[in-house]
Amino acid sequence: MDDDFQDLEAELGRLRPAAPRSHLLARIECDVAPRRLVLRGWLWAAMPAAAALVAAAVFGVRWATRPSPEVSAPQLAAGPVLKPVTVRDILVSTRDEGYVMLADGWPARRMREAHLDTIVWKDPRSAASLQWSVPREEIRIVPVSFQ
Amino acid sequence: MEDFSENESWENWFRRHGPKLLLCARQWTVSMADAEDVVQEAFIRFWRRQRGLSGEPLALLLTSVRRAGLDIARRRVRREAREKSAMAEDSGPNPLFEPLPDGDDRRIAIESALGRLAPEQREVLALKIWGELTFAEIAGQLGIPPNTAASRYRYALAALRRELTAAGCHG
Repeated sequence: MDDDFQDLEAELGRLRPAAPRSHLLARIECDVAPRRLVLRGWLWAAMPAAAALVAAAVFGVRWATRPSPEVSAPQLAAGPVLKPVTVRDILVSTRDEGYVMLADGWPARRMREAHLDTIVWKDPRSAASLQWSVPREEIRIVPVSFQ
Repeated sequence: MEDFSENESWENWFRRHGPKLLLCARQWTVSMADAEDVVQEAFIRFWRRQRGLSGEPLALLLTSVRRAGLDIARRRVRREAREKSAMAEDSGPNPLFEPLPDGDDRRIAIESALGRLAPEQREVLALKIWGELTFAEIAGQLGIPPNTAASRYRYALAALRRELTAAGCHG
């Protein structure tokens, strides 16, 4: 940058952006914390199904699919190489759970959303695919202002 | 730019980078409340789904913040009543920067001068200085050539200096 502006740039760089107001941290905490627990619950519930799917993909994919002609035997012997190709998030339902008070006294509306996340993996060599759908619950805290 | 550690808590990371995100968000929103909304939305999305992705976390977050800012601006057109309320709220003191230890006149003059810059110049300035992005990254964010980003930055600095000189507030 021009020498002319170096002092001004340095001065601007010394200005420290103002810290977010405390209620923003409280709102993020509300958003981050509950879901961590919910997600953990879903993960545990989905674990056996996921393990079964992965096992099916690893051990069963060879008989379930027809390898393309150019695939060599040593390549297939290495097993399927699944790569994630699509991720979809479908909002299934939304429920308004009414007003809540945040820790700093700000009013907020609590929304409970049910989602269905679907991830599809594919092996580009053999066209084998694996789809995993996981239900997910999300709680959103939306700040409100009364006029 | 500082890297992101997998073991770091969201509070620590947010306390370090939140102020920069909020300052940039305020370039794309009309009120402090909207800026906080977009930072919250972008940060939650990042923390839940994107923090494992490769690349600079701050640059990724700034992309999300800008998109959310533009979305909220579009939604705002349909919410005039809330806008009035938010504007009234923003009439209170919501400084862009922390107060300076040796007198605050200069900070106030700079904030005021920033407010008079053209929005397309101000956003480049904010992304470069406080968002710590390169011109190439800014160009990617805004969908403009890197040379245009660099020119806007130079114009912004020139305009800012003119404003500060006119205000009789030399550094």
